[in-house]
Order: sequence, then structure tokens, then C-alpha cells
Amino acid sequence: MRRLGDLEAEIMDRLWTWNRPATVREIVDDINRNRPVAYTTVMTVTNILYGKGWLLRGKQGRAWLYSPVRSREAYAAALMEDGLGESKDRRAALVAFVENMSDEEQAALRKALRNTGRQAGQAEADS
Amino acid sequence: MNAAPALVGYTAAVGFAAPYLLLRADWPHRAPALAAAVWHALAVSFSFGAALSAASLAMPAEHLHAGMVGLLHACGLDVGVGRPDPEIAARLAVGVPAAIGIALVASFAFHVVRARRVRSEHREAVDLVGRHSARLCATVLPYDTPAAYCLPGRDPRIVISDAAVRHLTPEQLGAVLEHEQAHIAGRHHLVLATVEAFYSVFRWVPLARHAREQTALLLEMIADDRALRSHSHEALATAMYEMAAARTPKGALAAGGQSALIRLKRVLGPRKTAHPALWGSVAAAALTVPLLPLLVACPPGLG
Repeated sequence: MRRLGDLEAEIMDRLWTWNRPATVREIVDDINRNRPVAYTTVMTVTNILYGKGWLLRGKQGRAWLYSPVRSREAYAAALMEDGLGESKDRRAALVAFVENMSDEEQAALRKALRNTGRQAGQAEADS
Repeated sequence: MNAAPALVGYTAAVGFAAPYLLLRADWPHRAPALAAAVWHALAVSFSFGAALSAASLAMPAEHLHAGMVGLLHACGLDVGVGRPDPEIAARLAVGVPAAIGIALVASFAFHVVRARRVRSEHREAVDLVGRHSARLCATVLPYDTPAAYCLPGRDPRIVISDAAVRHLTPEQLGAVLEHEQAHIAGRHHLVLATVEAFYSVFRWVPLARHAREQTALLLEMIADDRALRSHSHEALATAMYEMAAARTPKGALAAGGQSALIRLKRVLGPRKTAHPALWGSVAAAALTVPLLPLLVACPPGLG
């Protein structure tokens, strides 16, 4: 049993890859190359994505054309910055691997690394 | 005997003097888990101390009432000294400690619930935008800076940028993922929520501020140690540097900024573990400290 989120991801994935507005019919046909999925299911989920603010739509003839609000890269950058705590008040939610540093701290880090690199190199040379 | 002055003194010592003693000690970075436990023990002890101080100051007895009025005087508050009303005092004696307890529990619940909501929204978006890598057990986001973080809790995720996957060696990548895995496995978000809750209630107490900052750093060290069990020091340190150096420097966020440097020096420095005797006595102290306010409030000798 696939989750709703999987189908959402499949739809977004196609729209991002095609990089042009598309109809639900086009998306269904493309997904159907790999697995059967009902038109109404895809239409429902596409509507959910539109409702959540992930997609824009415009009418062409009788069909709706859907396109992503922002590029995958733009979403990824916003998420990363969020996750890394660059937007305020996310401290409690997520733990970033390293936090921001000043230039001096970076220089000190570099120096600390170089020193051990040299020591390791010497140890190898000695042995 | 009136325990109020002793209790107030003890609570003040824990809240205002103890953090500086602990900050100056050099063992916490050698035994980060133990140190985190000590910070928590101090926080619990302070909360008990504050609650019991309030109770004993408000106790419905003439001399204790005088004690409270005296204290208010000392704080610059002039209260009209009327007849002590035992009923109001008794209510205060129960109400104030209860309020402290409720505030702490409510604040913890608030932090946990809010963080969970933020994380689940974030996770939903990450699942849409990123690609799950079964090999890395992580979600890869297209982002041109090497970076990684985790979404702990139920249905956790490790999020890593594709730049990190490209630029880091497999060994370095493994160390980073192991570090994030340690945060998730150790449920570090709950530990952080505890100190956040304590900080929201006792914002003006140095202990609260330092416990919050130090716990965050100590949790990173615990995760570093976990990564070092299966990965080399060089791999972890280099990955740490690569990620830290790529980030845009930001002056305003100086509070935690230095932690990367402290961690890197620790990872590269000689491995020192705390002496078993020291470890044992600190652990015993961590267990005893929360109970001390009770001993001060009701000395066993006096029945």
C-alpha cells in the first residue's frame, strides 16, 4: 500500500522535471508507464497539492494546467536554511551538524586541522 | 526552626553560583553525558529549592510570615504589615510551589508539541522535495553547500545536501550520518526540550541560560563520540570543517558559533576520558543534588 505522500512526490517530481505546466492527464499517463493509477486519484492528490500551496493552476480550454509554485532547488534551499537554523526559532526543532561560525573561528579550525594533518603525516613518515 | 533562609540561600547558590563552577571545570568535555546529567540535576534541584523556599516563606506561622515580609522588604517591596492571615498563607504555601511545578510541566509540553508540529511540516516538505537514498538512509536535497541536519522524533529523517554527498569522502559522510543518527537514537530533542522549558520559566537565572547553551554543546559532543566509535577522528574533523567553512558567517548568532571550534579541537585532541573515581563521585553528586533541597527543608535530625 503506497502512502498518499508517495503519490504527491511522484506528481511534484514530474512537474519539476518537465519544467512546464502540465495537465492531470499527462501526469496520469506518465505514472501509468510504471504502474496503474486511477485518473481520479491523481486528480484528487493534485488538488490537494494545489490546496497546500505547492502548485499553481490556469485553465487552458477545458483542462487545468498545473505548475510548481517554485523550483525544486528553491524549495530545497528554503528547507535547508530552515533546518540549519538560519531562520529564527528553529533551535528546539532541529539539530544542525555544525552551527554558523565567524571568520576567525574558521581560520582557527583550519589551523587545528592542518596541525593534525602534519602530525599524521610525520607519524607515517616516521614509521 | 525556620528553614526558609537556608533554602533561599541554597537555591540562590544553585541558580547563581553553581553554573560558573561547572563552566570552569575541565571534566565536562571529557564526560559530556555525565555533564549533561549534572546540568539537569542542578535544574531539578533549583526547581525544588524554589518551590520549597516559596512554601516555607508562606508557611502559616507567625515567625515565618515575618520572614516573608522581611524578604519582601529586602527586595524593596513595602507591604503593609497587617495581621497574618493563616488561610491566605496556607494557600500561598501550596499554591506557589504548585504554580512552579505546573509552569515547568506545561512549558515542557508546549516545547515538545510545538517542535513536533514544526518537524512534521518540515518532514512532509523534505519528502516531497528530496530524494530518499536507501544507501545513506538519508534524504538528499539539492543544495550547493555541504550541510546536514536531522529531524528527530517519531518517523525521523536525516537530511543531507547533495553537495555534501559529492564533496565528502565515504568515510567522512559515514561519520556525519552516524553523528546525526546518534541524535535521533539518543532522543536528544527531548533533552533539549527539558532545558528549553526550564529556561522559559526561569529565564533570569544564570543556571537556566547556561544549562540551555551547555546542554546543546554537550549533546553535540555525545553525538561526536558516537560517530568516533566507528569512524576516524580525521574523517569527522574534516567533515566538520568542510561543513562549517561553507556556511555563511553570521555575526549575530555568536552564541553557539564557537561550539564547532570547541568540538573540532576536542575531536582532534588527545583522547581523555574522565577518571573512574571522578566519574563515580560526580555521578553520585548528580543523583543527590536534586534531593538536597528536601534535606535542607526537613532536616532528618529535627524530625
